[in-house]
Amino acid sequence: MEQASAAVSLSLRDVVKTYVMGADVVHALDGVSLDIGRNEYVAIMGPSGSGKSTLMNIIGCLDVPTSGSYCLEGQMVAEMSQSQLAELRNRRIGFVFQTFNLIPRASILKNVELPLVYGGVPRSQRRVRAQRALERVGLADRMKHRPNELSGGQRQRVAIARALVISPSIILADEPTGNLDSRTGDDVMAMLDELHAAGQTIILVTHEQYIAEHAQRTVRLRDGKIESDTTEWR
Amino acid sequence: MALNVDIQESFRIALDAIRASKARSLLTTLGIIIGIVAVVLTMTAANGLQNKFRESFSSVGTDILYVSRMPWIIMDDFFLYRNRPALELREAGELERRLRGKAIVNPNINGVRDVLYRTETMNGVNIIGTTDKQVRMSSAQPQAGRFLMPFDVLYKRNVCVIGTDVCDGLFGSVDPLNKTLQIGRTRFRVIGVMEKQGGSFLGGPNFDRQVFIPITSFVRVFGGDRRQDVDVAVKAPRQEAMDDLEYTVKGEMRRIRGLRPAEGDNFTINKLDTLVGTFNNVMGVVLLVGLLVTGISLFVGAVGVMNIMFVSVTERTREIGIRRAIGATPRSILLQFLLESSAIGLVGGLVGILLAAILTGVINAVLMPASVSLPIVILAVVVSISVGVVAGLVPAARAAKLDVIDALRYE
Repeated sequence: MEQASAAVSLSLRDVVKTYVMGADVVHALDGVSLDIGRNEYVAIMGPSGSGKSTLMNIIGCLDVPTSGSYCLEGQMVAEMSQSQLAELRNRRIGFVFQTFNLIPRASILKNVELPLVYGGVPRSQRRVRAQRALERVGLADRMKHRPNELSGGQRQRVAIARALVISPSIILADEPTGNLDSRTGDDVMAMLDELHAAGQTIILVTHEQYIAEHAQRTVRLRDGKIESDTTEWR
Repeated sequence: MALNVDIQESFRIALDAIRASKARSLLTTLGIIIGIVAVVLTMTAANGLQNKFRESFSSVGTDILYVSRMPWIIMDDFFLYRNRPALELREAGELERRLRGKAIVNPNINGVRDVLYRTETMNGVNIIGTTDKQVRMSSAQPQAGRFLMPFDVLYKRNVCVIGTDVCDGLFGSVDPLNKTLQIGRTRFRVIGVMEKQGGSFLGGPNFDRQVFIPITSFVRVFGGDRRQDVDVAVKAPRQEAMDDLEYTVKGEMRRIRGLRPAEGDNFTINKLDTLVGTFNNVMGVVLLVGLLVTGISLFVGAVGVMNIMFVSVTERTREIGIRRAIGATPRSILLQFLLESSAIGLVGGLVGILLAAILTGVINAVLMPASVSLPIVILAVVVSISVGVVAGLVPAARAAKLDVIDALRYE
């Protein structure tokens, strides 16, 4: 951890997230502190209700902590407005969702270009960068297709391309193989492994042990607290 | 801050949505379509009426008073006027004498007769007994031959000057000058043809379908002036002198008729202004009704667009979540949906303009000259886009306010 702090990518300190549900106050996260360095490959695990979704939302700047601090690439996230969060996500976070979350009406190319549209990248550059990202995931020949014309594995690769196109600080993959059969799941995981090998920081949220094993470090959550944080060098 | 929304993208999405559900979109935009048709037709009709009116009455100056038995437009009870004595030629002569040097006075008698030339007959032509001063009253001049001269009137000659419609109707391609035609049962020689004055205004007088003859001949041929109403046109030397002239004419007429101070006028002074006033009232009603229909349809249209936008926002909650997750700000989501609703408005507007153009073509063919002008089209486009934007405001604001995490999880 000491070596990693020199190249720290994100750091959470005493993060608490509470939700009010009717009369009850639910502590989804109850004092989580976590540092993740550049080019780390971290799996976040835990049973449902453990707070791993909430943690993912906060790391992904979709939500802000109730208390505690979150620093992403030197920027304090906790105080940001919705627009600032959107800009931060746009430049720093590449999401890969369990349900792919592509826009059905738009072509593959348009889907991959979309983050660049919101990032204000000029049209000509958008096209080139989206094409390059699609080449990296091996779908350069499917650019004009719509998402529903592709298989699940291909759709997830489009999602990965969309995450990659902005050269994000972190790729945040939420159960990326959850909707895939084991073989295509393996392909997608192989792709993430490859990206990690090329220097990408990846955070993987999963409840499958064999998926988590792709990561070097596993953070286990239980009842909103970190239960264990183990690093294995393979 | 740059508004990072791909405008083209949003329009394409909107057009896709419209294309995907044609029936729904048609119903949605029906209000806007009707509204735009109404606004375009109203404006076109108003324009057409105004042009036609100006064209038809351009030859009749606004600096002329007409002394007549009756008002041109009777707003109250007709029986108030029917027992008035007819204006006589003698009285017209008297008025002319009294106004000499102050104004030009020209008496007219109108009658309707059939006009014949060889085998051709024209029924119900307006025959106007007048004097040589007619050409000084109006801007219309003879295009061929000459107008009546003082000696035509003095010697009660059987000569006539015909309007273009009469000329075309009776003579066709034959040169009418010095030909003899028959008015009623009397023969008149054609000495001139008037220039075209623009036809009838919605059933009003057609200045091209009339024949001028000397007023004295009229009286001799068609009967005494006691049976025929004389109208006396009085032209002011200057437009500004109109009010003074009206006052003078009124005074002189009362003196000629020997009216006591307590008695009311038993004649009327008509002005083109009163006609213009009436016309403007009619125009006002046309515009009011048109704008009312427009307003109601556009309101209904706006409600329809708002409804479809709410549906669209709900249907695409997840898409909104995805867009927000990958970096769309609430503002760019707002803008995207506003663009979509304005695109729907624009499509409705364009369809409306197209329909209105077709209807205008039909009106042009059967009713009156009408054409859709560019300013009206621009107005219609601006209005339809505005309706789209206004209707999209609330749904777009709802889309922009959606919580990212909830929207992403929405099934």
